[in-house]
Amino acid sequence: MPTRLLAGLGALLIVALPFIPGVPPFWLTLLTYAGLSAIVVTGLVVLTGVAGITSFGQAMFVGISAYATALLTTTGGLSPWLSLPVALLLSAAAAWVTGAITLRLSGHYLPLGTIAWNISFFYVLGNTDALGRYDGLTGLPPISVLGHPVLGGAEALLLTWGFLALSLWLTHRLLRSRTGRAIRALKGGVVAAESFGVDTARVKIVAFVYAAMLAALSGWLYAHIQRAINPTPFGINAGIEYLLMAVIGGAGSIWGGVFGAVLVTVLKDQLQNVLPLVFGAQGNFEAIVFGVLLVLMLQRAPDGLWPLVVRRSVAPPPDRGPASHPLAPRPACAPGTVLLEASHLRKTFGGLVAVNDIGFQVSAGEVVALIGPNGAGKSTTFNLVTGVARLSAGAVRLGGRDVAGLPARRIARLGCARTFQHVKLVAGMSVIENVALGAHLRGSAGPFRGALGLDAAEEAALFAEADRQLARVGLSACRDLPAGSLALGQQRIVEIARALCLGPTLLLLDEPAAGLRHQEKQALGDLLRRLRQEGLGILLVEHDMDFVMGLADRLVVMNFGAKLCEGAPATVRRDPAVVEAYLGSAA
Amino acid sequence: MDATILLLLLQDGVVNGAIYALIALSLVLVFTVTRVILIPQGEFVAYGALTLASLEAGTLPGTVPLLLGLGACAFLADCAEARHNLDGRALLRFGLRDLALPGVVAVIAWLLAPTKPGLPVEILLTLVIVTPMGGFLHAVAFRPLAHASVLVLLIASVGVHLALTGLGLVFFGAEGSRTPPLSEASFPAGPLLVSGQSLWMIGLTLAIIVALWLFFSRTLLGKALIATAVNRLGARLMGIAPSLAGRLSFSVAAFIGALSGVLIAPLTTVYYDTGFLIGLKGFVAAIIGGLASYPAAAAAALLVGIIESVASFEASAFKEVIVFMAIIPVLLWRSLRSAPVEDEE
Amino acid sequence: MRRIVWALALAGTVLAGPVMAQQPIKIGVTIAKTGPAASLGIPQANTVTLLPTEVAGQKIEWIVLDDASDTTKGVANARKLASDDKVDAIVGSSVTPVSLALIEVAAEAKVPMISLAASAKIVAPMDDKRRWVFKAPQNDALMAEAIAAHMAKAGVKSVGFIGFNDAYGDGWLSEITPRLEAKGIKLAATERYARTDTSVTGQVLKVIAAKPDAVLIAGSGTPAALPQKTLKERGYAGKYYQTHGVANADFLRVGGKDVDGTVLPAGPLLVAEQLPESNPVRKVALDYTKAYEAKFGAGSLATFGGHAYDAQVLLANAIPVALKTAKPGTPEFRAALRDALEGLKEVVYTHGVVAMTPTDHVGQDDRARVMVTIENGRWKLMPATN
Repeated sequence: MPTRLLAGLGALLIVALPFIPGVPPFWLTLLTYAGLSAIVVTGLVVLTGVAGITSFGQAMFVGISAYATALLTTTGGLSPWLSLPVALLLSAAAAWVTGAITLRLSGHYLPLGTIAWNISFFYVLGNTDALGRYDGLTGLPPISVLGHPVLGGAEALLLTWGFLALSLWLTHRLLRSRTGRAIRALKGGVVAAESFGVDTARVKIVAFVYAAMLAALSGWLYAHIQRAINPTPFGINAGIEYLLMAVIGGAGSIWGGVFGAVLVTVLKDQLQNVLPLVFGAQGNFEAIVFGVLLVLMLQRAPDGLWPLVVRRSVAPPPDRGPASHPLAPRPACAPGTVLLEASHLRKTFGGLVAVNDIGFQVSAGEVVALIGPNGAGKSTTFNLVTGVARLSAGAVRLGGRDVAGLPARRIARLGCARTFQHVKLVAGMSVIENVALGAHLRGSAGPFRGALGLDAAEEAALFAEADRQLARVGLSACRDLPAGSLALGQQRIVEIARALCLGPTLLLLDEPAAGLRHQEKQALGDLLRRLRQEGLGILLVEHDMDFVMGLADRLVVMNFGAKLCEGAPATVRRDPAVVEAYLGSAA
Repeated sequence: MDATILLLLLQDGVVNGAIYALIALSLVLVFTVTRVILIPQGEFVAYGALTLASLEAGTLPGTVPLLLGLGACAFLADCAEARHNLDGRALLRFGLRDLALPGVVAVIAWLLAPTKPGLPVEILLTLVIVTPMGGFLHAVAFRPLAHASVLVLLIASVGVHLALTGLGLVFFGAEGSRTPPLSEASFPAGPLLVSGQSLWMIGLTLAIIVALWLFFSRTLLGKALIATAVNRLGARLMGIAPSLAGRLSFSVAAFIGALSGVLIAPLTTVYYDTGFLIGLKGFVAAIIGGLASYPAAAAAALLVGIIESVASFEASAFKEVIVFMAIIPVLLWRSLRSAPVEDEE
Repeated sequence: MRRIVWALALAGTVLAGPVMAQQPIKIGVTIAKTGPAASLGIPQANTVTLLPTEVAGQKIEWIVLDDASDTTKGVANARKLASDDKVDAIVGSSVTPVSLALIEVAAEAKVPMISLAASAKIVAPMDDKRRWVFKAPQNDALMAEAIAAHMAKAGVKSVGFIGFNDAYGDGWLSEITPRLEAKGIKLAATERYARTDTSVTGQVLKVIAAKPDAVLIAGSGTPAALPQKTLKERGYAGKYYQTHGVANADFLRVGGKDVDGTVLPAGPLLVAEQLPESNPVRKVALDYTKAYEAKFGAGSLATFGGHAYDAQVLLANAIPVALKTAKPGTPEFRAALRDALEGLKEVVYTHGVVAMTPTDHVGQDDRARVMVTIENGRWKLMPATN
């Protein structure tokens, strides 16, 4: 069943529920709690499911907002509607500060960092007099809608799910926007995202702050529906439960998050009803049975239960129509202008010298191929030029500018685009969106414009460009397929389209022909020749000698990290050193 | 704070740190072999302590029926796993391991428990009751998830933790227990009074670290476990079944957990839910050790123990805040040191 | 065949409905059967199974839910009880933070509620919402008063405080501080610890360094034994005071000889058989003790369970009054029940004798506490000092 239809049915059901006779009133309360959790979990889906940042600390941001609004509305006497923006901003600020510290943590250190924050937060709440210590704050006013106080039951349900719908809508838009593609690109690898100009550290913070703001929204609603708060609901156990909901529902999609939140909330309640009938009133078996069910569900559905409900597919990006203002192409450089000048490059890993005193030039309108046996240091050289790896010594000049020490995303700004030896596409994202990521630097819309849908013109232009480049490499037919479903050779071509989307003057291709069939190789060769004609400078690493010899203007041959020789294909072919080291064995 | 107090606090921190170290070691072991962050490790500690307390009181601990139940579940799980080549020999093997072994343990416990056979026998009994649970849990809960992501394994681990804590409440009630010490002796050392129990504690921790090191560096089985940790496919090609390695690591973890429980039960009161917080501290230590290094994890555990002890003296209401805020700079430092050049995937 | 049986059963139920004399009175209970406060909630849940199912010829239905000491769950339970089960009264919860949050629900649904938690904040200051809220256990204040008085009489000049780092410890600290001040006793150290902490050496060293004449430990159940054992280990020789939170047999079991000589205030239930025959509480308390231990084993009694019993005593006294004006299951009945609870006078329950007033919804006096000491691992009633 299409997701959109399901969502519509779900919304209809929620709205109609209070009016269906015979529905126990408690179901409205229960679903209100489910909705409150679902708002937090939606943020967690963005953070954990999409950006891959595991956080146990969402309960802290719920708590910051709940306490902020409690203080403002009780002692401050403010209306809840006025305290909402304050609560949101406060949580966002807290997320910014904690994120700036915590998101630097790598690997397993990061989730532990979020645990540390949340545990500390709990004890600080419990020991702060102004926050009522462990007893908390009571007597909060209810939220008024059109002068009518929302006390509970149907009103609270509709209010909560209204806000949930709003959160889902914003999140859906955000993830489809330019910022959203950058967030999703984190899953395809930080290196690839950085190479297209994405400031991944900033994108991570954006995702963290966004998730915290959704948590804050939930905290604000919780505080005024509950009307009494204390530290317990904001402790680490709550943080673990939010994550649990996301995983059990399916952290890969926002619908999975909602499903998980509703499922866990309802399941826990129903266990309390059913188990006493089975085991008698004396046992406390809820936690046991819940734990067992949780494990069993994960064993049946490790990706969460939602993908079992809907067939997993990648929704095609919305059709944005023709671009009113197509992206202006980057002015071509005059043929012969030196684009890249690498001199005396050196890279050591510990005592091992991977690249030793390599130097070469690439000019506009020429194809230079970097060849050599496996382990000769070609890919490392690539990484040195593009800022992915740090130079031990030597200099790289791009367009006459010294770029040694600049991060990859700054080098991308100078019109240098690349592909990777091991394909780095976001497997679950459609081909066209992967390609559009290449145009990241050619747009400017931030998260707010994206979430609010004020980026339509720019998005249309970016996608028009992406479509153009995809057509150029001949993969338009695959436009809406998930990138991971393509053959490996095709994925390499998608990477080229993505690189072209940057509007580069210099193109670096790492083994572009690997895995291609003969005809595809010819098409690729034709494409590269066309690009050369348009004035692009191309540096490529390739093993397929026929392909290289027929295409390259010059070859740079490497062996054991050092340059063996350089020259036109015909010259290199005759060089005795090359023949011995490399061609001799291959040919 | 004068020097005497500082020494006393250090002593306290080291003893507590030793518990965290034991937990951290098991977590590292289980993680390297199976990628599971074993949150229920704390429950093994609580089960160990409370089982011993039950035996001490002359009653049959609730962990005995649990052992039988888990064994039966593991038997079913084993049969399901091997359903394509299930023959008489396999059935016999599973039956011996999953049904007969717990059965024998249960009968012995049932016979011995009312006689209060004395501390050494009771400790032995505790260890044989709790240790097999590790392997059974692996077979029932985690083996079917062998290919899931670390996050999913972690959430499954939370599920097992919830179930085991709930069972602990049913078996042992909400109130805690203490057991008599292994050694009543105490030795004056300057201003300190070193209890025999704390020496046992530290000594056994060191012994376990050495034993683990020897096991992994000297024995074929240990090397096989490391091989599984490094490369699961490679290990399988070399004829090492990851499920066997996983089962073994879980059993070792349960054994260390039960032993930790036996060690701390005389020093403090243990509750059905004691496991979570000490498990978390052990987790902190394990993570600081990068979930890979035993000595680093043990050192971090001592550090956590000492920070905790000093914090409880200086500002007891904010003890946890101090402990957990103190680890953030450590985490930052570790992150910077391990900053990956390429992507971590 | 099976279908016919079902149909018959269904028809039977439908027909039986109107035949029954009257709808039963429903009492909803939400307590901490699990979670950190399970040592309070479990004896309370046990007690509910002993409670009479008929009062004044009226069937009573008890519905017990577990809130795991968690506020959100407690409030959800209360809403469920109020909206779906349409209970006539709510009993619970076991701890103060949850009870405080339940006030909102009780007031909103206009259901009388009897809390089983300690803090006076639950019923005071009296306002529009707390009109609906009553409380069975003693206020911490009443108990703190007794401890302060005992300390003053024993010549204690300074006190070290070691309490739970939670609402229970907070409540005690805030009640004992002004009372010690009033008696001119210095609070020399205030230390906090968590229920599941494995070591309190740091806190104990700090307290000993302050050299107080006495130490007050504010914890509940077996976890309150750890600071005392550690103090003994470190050779602290002053007086030991505990709170009524430790009043169960497990505390004695875990504390062993280290807790001998400890002084604590408690509800009279704890030492019912030692009360003089003239004390009206004695009989009620002994009856409850007998019933409880018959079902859950000798020595299993915990005074916390008594609070659940006492809530029932309050309701059983109020129900006949309320029945005169309204039918169970109606808003009128709930209002009448509230009024009846507020009007209770000289009701004897296991923890004392109650006289409610519109401003006092606990209604206890000095008869609700006795001073107890521990002798040879047994509770011993201390002679009244005034």
